[in-house]
Amino acid sequence: MNATANTVPNFASDQEVRWCPGCGDFAILAQMKKVLPTLGVKPENTVVVSGIGCSSRFPYYLETYGMHGIHGRAPAIATGLKRTRPDLQVWVVTGDGDALSIGCTHLLHALRRNVDIKILLFNNRIYGLTKGQFSPTSLPGLVTSSTPMGTAHEPLHPLSIALASNATFVARSVDTNAKHLGEVLRRAAAHRGSAFVEIYQNCHIFNDGAFDFAKNPAIRDDHIVAIAHGEPLVFGKNRDKGIRLDVAGPEVVTLGGEYNEPDLLVHDEKADTNTIAQMIAGMRHPLMPEAIGVLRDVDRPTHNDLMRDKTPDPKSRETAVNRLLHGGETWTVA
Amino acid sequence: MTYVVTENCIKCKHTDCVSVCPVDCFYEGENMLVINPEECIDCGVCEPECPVEAIKPDSEPDIETWLALNTELAGIWPVITEQKEPPTDAAAWKDAENKLTLLSREPAKV
Ligand code: SF4
Ligand code: SF4
Ligand code: SF4
Repeated sequence: MNATANTVPNFASDQEVRWCPGCGDFAILAQMKKVLPTLGVKPENTVVVSGIGCSSRFPYYLETYGMHGIHGRAPAIATGLKRTRPDLQVWVVTGDGDALSIGCTHLLHALRRNVDIKILLFNNRIYGLTKGQFSPTSLPGLVTSSTPMGTAHEPLHPLSIALASNATFVARSVDTNAKHLGEVLRRAAAHRGSAFVEIYQNCHIFNDGAFDFAKNPAIRDDHIVAIAHGEPLVFGKNRDKGIRLDVAGPEVVTLGGEYNEPDLLVHDEKADTNTIAQMIAGMRHPLMPEAIGVLRDVDRPTHNDLMRDKTPDPKSRETAVNRLLHGGETWTVA
Repeated sequence: MTYVVTENCIKCKHTDCVSVCPVDCFYEGENMLVINPEECIDCGVCEPECPVEAIKPDSEPDIETWLALNTELAGIWPVITEQKEPPTDAAAWKDAENKLTLLSREPAKV
């Protein structure tokens, strides 16, 4: 070891990065390379687990431990790892197909168990790696190679699913919104328990512009609302619009006339129930501005906390396994 | 890693690159553009857009001077986010060599 080496660890690996030119994944990788060295966790104590898809190439590009797992199963692999090596910081990188088609139930159960892992879901609303078929988050009508007449069905909404699974940390950001994404990633890392982050990621090749409303500097301020704990939901290029909670749900109001800032919904990411967070997650383009930021950040015992006292010592586990294996018939077939 | 703008851009300034960069990290001088290496996410989409092949990855040999120049000038020039018309004499300068001496360090007039 070189004793004079830079003390800030470098998380960039020597692998050639293989995504299409212009892919939003580059922006997320750039942020992760900036954020990881600031977390105080050494590269050798950091693990990135992925499934299958363009996003799942992530582990190769970071100089940490990593595992390119099987399709949709990254949360299961990460759960086992965190259970046996609680000292490691474990990240899961997945996409809309990997996490919400193939591995949807793994995702739900990791979140409900509050496994202390950080799950980043790159949502590009398309299957990129397999060359552009519709995904479970594709919007109705999207013409893809597997839906020449346009997709027929309603999409899944990652934030709503995470909240319904009682995830203790739920957030959203945008690939190229560097400052915002960096801050959300830092918050996710700091959270004790499952952290779920949906990242709007542009697939430059097969679904270009899917998040134009949230990315294009000319229009985005009127279509996204950056939420912050304790702050009213104000948005708009001139910060002249806000979200008010009406009996029928959240509604957009213009400030300065009938309504002003004190009338607006004030964001509470620590709320006991996730009812309001679900309403915020339910605000969808083009009817409503979409929220970016941390929707929910609450404390609950983690999976390891809950399991700690229940871990059988290796000896009694052996006995239990033996009993199971040599237990004879459970029932008799007549 | 980052991409950098090199000599060929001087007095050409086609700005095709600007329209494709997803993070708006091009900065504009009077007769050249540069990339801010701190902001560039290495996506590589601008490289083939440049009609005069001025954009190169910083893994190319002998790129250090240009990397330093991009870093320095990005700090003092204004950001450019939309494509504009190239200078009328751009074509004439396309294949000229040793254009570095012609570089203006002045920021673009906006
Ligand atoms: S197919 Fe889409 S998501 Fe995959 S690397 Fe290419 S641009 Fe990125
Ligand atoms: S396209 Fe090439 S020549 Fe034109 S401004 Fe960009 S780098 Fe310069
Ligand atoms: S490589 Fe990508 S991020 Fe960097 S300057 Fe080119 S287009 Fe912009």
